[in-house]
Amino acid sequence: MKTTVVSTSIFAAQVAIAAAAAVAWEFVSRRGIVNPELLPPLSDVLATLWQLLHDPRFLADLRVTAVEVLVSFLIVAPTSIVLGFFLAETPAVARLVNPVFHALMAIPKSIFLPIFILALGIGFTQKIVFGAVLAFFVIVVYAEAAVASVPSGFVTLGRAIGASRGQIYARIYLPAMLPLIIAGLRIGFIFVVTGVLLAEMYSAPVGVGRAIVHWGEYYEIRKLLAAVLLIVFACIVINQLLEAWERSSGTGRFNFGAIA
Amino acid sequence: MSARGIVAGTADAIVVRSVSKSFGAAAGGLKVLDDISLNVANGRFVTLVGPSGCGKSTLLQIIAGLVPASEGEILIEGEPLAGPRPSATGIVFQDALLLPWKTAAQNVEFPLALRGGDATRRRARALDMLALVGLAEVAESYPHQLSGGMRQRVAIARGLVEDPKILLMDEPFAALDEQTRTKMGGELLQIWERSSKTILFITHGLTEAIFLADTVLVMQARPGRIVERIDVELPRPRSYDMIGSEYFGRVRNQIWHLLAEQVP
Amino acid sequence: MWSNALRRVAIFAAAIAAWELAFRLHLINPLIIGSPSLVIQAAIKDWRGFLDACGTTALELVISIAISWSFGIVAGTALGAMRMLGAIAAPILSALIAIPLIVVYPLLLAWVGIGPESKIAFGVLSGVFPIALNTLIGVRATDRAYAQMATAFGATRLQLIVQVMLPLAMPAIISGLRIGTSMILIGVLVAEMLGAAAGLGFLISLNRTLFNTGAVYLGTLLALAMAVLIDAALSRLERHFGAWRPPIHSQA
Repeated sequence: MKTTVVSTSIFAAQVAIAAAAAVAWEFVSRRGIVNPELLPPLSDVLATLWQLLHDPRFLADLRVTAVEVLVSFLIVAPTSIVLGFFLAETPAVARLVNPVFHALMAIPKSIFLPIFILALGIGFTQKIVFGAVLAFFVIVVYAEAAVASVPSGFVTLGRAIGASRGQIYARIYLPAMLPLIIAGLRIGFIFVVTGVLLAEMYSAPVGVGRAIVHWGEYYEIRKLLAAVLLIVFACIVINQLLEAWERSSGTGRFNFGAIA
Repeated sequence: MSARGIVAGTADAIVVRSVSKSFGAAAGGLKVLDDISLNVANGRFVTLVGPSGCGKSTLLQIIAGLVPASEGEILIEGEPLAGPRPSATGIVFQDALLLPWKTAAQNVEFPLALRGGDATRRRARALDMLALVGLAEVAESYPHQLSGGMRQRVAIARGLVEDPKILLMDEPFAALDEQTRTKMGGELLQIWERSSKTILFITHGLTEAIFLADTVLVMQARPGRIVERIDVELPRPRSYDMIGSEYFGRVRNQIWHLLAEQVP
Repeated sequence: MWSNALRRVAIFAAAIAAWELAFRLHLINPLIIGSPSLVIQAAIKDWRGFLDACGTTALELVISIAISWSFGIVAGTALGAMRMLGAIAAPILSALIAIPLIVVYPLLLAWVGIGPESKIAFGVLSGVFPIALNTLIGVRATDRAYAQMATAFGATRLQLIVQVMLPLAMPAIISGLRIGTSMILIGVLVAEMLGAAAGLGFLISLNRTLFNTGAVYLGTLLALAMAVLIDAALSRLERHFGAWRPPIHSQA
């Protein structure tokens, strides 16, 4: 009972902080404390966002980015999870592969973007592959950890009651592994979004990333801020949802220090 | 002999007057200590024994000035207590709580270092204390290199480094194995006899409580209160075979019954 | 141990040789995949340019690190030491780390221009949140028993934070520094790639548009070398501070 009271007041404090930040933004800009050309008032930006959401050009960009993110994620998520499981179940292979993985995890993979572009051009495929590669290692490592996190007692139990391999996986393993898998997916998703956006910003004819860079170059700050707010908001919402799912499915959150 | 642990006497090291402690909201909070009063005279070794959860640690924290009492007052050396008074009371916890990145000597020096002052004098004092507890040769060792008993001895040296009149000890030997615990008890008595400190020693071990003490205060739980005060009539220096004596057994039984009464 | 290292070097050398062989046999397109010899050629031709670029990047890096580390550690410590504030701040920081920070960069470019300031600003933003969060968590998780002990011996609040809680939190802080500094490096490099007139990221990018494959690979290798060096140095630091491994107490 006490914890719910505390967490509600924490949540209230956070909402209050967000609201205060919004008010401060509006105030600081309207009063000209900050150059309103550089930081347009929040209300203006929100109005621009509203317009953008009715602008077919922007919607097209949005669609392109969303599709890239989705496709990339849907490709990388299952493959990395399966590979992670495989590695966890075959320690011999894992011993060979894991040091390489951990080394690659510590390297900032975004640095390979120019090489990716040389190899794959600037189209749809390249962005999907880039996003997938960024996320790949993280999800594999989390999947491996998820398998390792299942208390060995569970497995013995499964075997003792004569469950088949498939049943053990579905009924015993999966629920126990769920928190870490979701955590891996959550972080992997962030990496995919980062990768796709970065690739778009760097060189692409379409996409939200491209639009943002374009607006920045032409000092269309309102549109720039509107798009940034939209992306930030979407990412925070998705992240919070996945975190909530992760929390409700168990305990334990780890950080393996993966760098995009 | 009052059941409340009060003795009419001269200047007392510790005076606890009608101390109560409640946690939580004013109405319906948890009353942990109920109207506790006790005296510890200068130079005496007093043990406080009670079941787990009876509030004895909380009482010690209040006497140490770490936690405020809800009601009542504490007098340390005649002065009302308003917060930690490290010059008057040294403290030893159940966990040695040595700072892991400091050597034994640096750990003992820690209270002095907080105050500043001459570094050489601090270091000399720390080494003296380590010699007192018989650990002069591990002065430069780190806590993780020391055994549990040694760590606790360093903690005792630290508690004594500012030469406080009073030493407060919260189940300091509870985490040690039986042999070490008995040995440490004997060593503690030697240190006490040599230094004429006042010691308030909390334990839930009956044998330890009786063996070490001049006076045993018995606590009951829910809410915590002192129910009996027993003056131990065994000669000093104590020896281990006193534990097998008939007197010892009788006192032990007496305390055991007081504690057993509360178990539901 | 040495045979291990020797084995790794041998595997590495073999891989390089195979790569060069594939190139010589025209099995790979030089414009796309490059080759060791192209990299070396680029190094010989352009080493001054690369040296300059590394210098610029290094400078931006050092300044970003200085600012990030100090801000991050101080903020994290302050928030971690104050119970309520820490509880409020931790989820906020955590949520902020979930944002693809890169989308903010065009804003920085518009505000601050194409010079090193925007790179430093972006680098600082990239690093400060993980550092602050890890510091906050580390300080918050310090066993309250140590704090009580120090208070019993008369430590002031400041002494308590600086002399007891911070050292106890060191492993967590350094872990945050490792993650954060990696993010600073990649932030600075990516910022240079997206809009700059100098720096390693810029040079890599420029060479890419000119299809100077060897130079692109060379630049990427240099960037990787920076990443590895930094991580190795911080890992050293981590080991130094971890020598005394504190006992893990379950939090009350």
